[in-house]
Amino acid sequence: MMARLGWTRAVAGLRRVALPAAGLIGWELIARSGLLSPIIFPSLARIGRELAWLVVRPDALQDVGLSLYRALGGFALAAVVGVAIGVAMGRWPWLGRLLDPFLSGTYPIPKIALLPIFIFLFGIGSLSKVLLVFLECLYPVVINAAAGARAVNRVLVWSALNMGASRRRILWRVVVPAAAPYVFAGFRVALPIALIVVVITEMISSADGLGYLVIYSLSSLQTDRMLAAVVVIALLGLVLDRLLGWLRDRLVFWERLESYY
Amino acid sequence: MSPHRLAGIGAVLGALGLWQLVGLAGAPDFILGPAEVARHFAAALASGELWPHIAASLGRSLPGFLLGSSLGIGLGLLAGVARGLDQMLSPVVFLTYPVPKIVMLPLFMLWFGIGDTSKVLIIALACFYPTFINAYSGARATPAILVWSALNMGARRPRIFWRVVVPGALPLIFAGLRVSLALSFILLFSTEMIAARSGLGFLIRQAESSLRFDLMYVAIVAIAGLGYASDRLLRAMRRRVLAWQDTG
Repeated sequence: MMARLGWTRAVAGLRRVALPAAGLIGWELIARSGLLSPIIFPSLARIGRELAWLVVRPDALQDVGLSLYRALGGFALAAVVGVAIGVAMGRWPWLGRLLDPFLSGTYPIPKIALLPIFIFLFGIGSLSKVLLVFLECLYPVVINAAAGARAVNRVLVWSALNMGASRRRILWRVVVPAAAPYVFAGFRVALPIALIVVVITEMISSADGLGYLVIYSLSSLQTDRMLAAVVVIALLGLVLDRLLGWLRDRLVFWERLESYY
Repeated sequence: MSPHRLAGIGAVLGALGLWQLVGLAGAPDFILGPAEVARHFAAALASGELWPHIAASLGRSLPGFLLGSSLGIGLGLLAGVARGLDQMLSPVVFLTYPVPKIVMLPLFMLWFGIGDTSKVLIIALACFYPTFINAYSGARATPAILVWSALNMGARRPRIFWRVVVPGALPLIFAGLRVSLALSFILLFSTEMIAARSGLGFLIRQAESSLRFDLMYVAIVAIAGLGYASDRLLRAMRRRVLAWQDTG
């Protein structure tokens, strides 16, 4: 029995690594076969060397910092403003009724199309990018926070009232904690969007940041450097998502997610 | 008309009025009021200037959306019911999910050329993830009791898949499709801004660099309108397909 269980586990583990391993080995084989130019298909070793170069050079680190600053700045702004608007919409029905058609009407519109106007309004630097990230992230945060504030169990609010809690206290001790799982679900959607928008805006119009590094390396045919930048962006996305998951498990400790997603 | 709807329409009209006031009150050249934008938009539609760009954009976003979401739904459902596929595919998908897919665009441009193939593929890649994850969760959440009942009534596996698992996963699949659709427009806009010779994103870029603000607003309104209309279409489809489900 134990041996069988171990065997099942080993097969599961093998299946888990099969696809990434096949991908990496296939990549290296194609790269080393010499059929394709290293510009089109650089080997993993070359990408690794560029990755080391990225980590060592201070100005490359500055690009990483800038992209992070823009993504997290816009995200944090959207988190604060979005939760405030969402909870207010959930608590005051008239506000919800007023803003709902507005939100659902503009939700499917790709806000990133406003980028040219934002550049004229707020300049080509960080401000226009942070504000665009803010705008794109605002929607999932507001919608989830409002749903969370609406879903608060009435009995809990009544009990708190009965025990003599003030409105303010009810807001902070009942409504906000009850809405927290929803709010974090919204954050989970918004965070990757923040990174997407930053990279896109930096690819389209910028002179710094990781998105710019990708486009610049491509146009100077340094594909290995470009792929190293792509790896850094991918890692950033992963690490930020994991950090958020960790924070969620700390703050919303009473409601565990069964699967990671 | 319900007071609920009236209040909403009032809010939208109020916002438009405010925008018009800002436009009238001596805002810089690049702020156009809604009346002007509407006039330019009608003119661009009438002159036929806009149609080829709309066609080019839809010719990229629709195939990408259909390819990516059908692959996502198919593989997601299969991974939801087949353990072997689940163990192989799901960790990779969940690991790469938070990675912004747009970073693959330069690589795709190298491999598949600067034309439409790379754009369609990048849109398909982005659309794959939300649909996969939703179809997967939907299939996994199939109540065991329904499967048992079907088995008990003598249904075979393919039949259970089509008659129990798929209908049960449909609400989540539609939620995933809605996210994918929104993503497809974001990706469409960015790929066309970065490298294209036609399409609405290209039109925005061209108008921006030649300071044709009227054309820029027209193209932005066109993208916004397309995004809005396709979302409405998807929701109408959802209402028909999920007529048995009683949520709004």
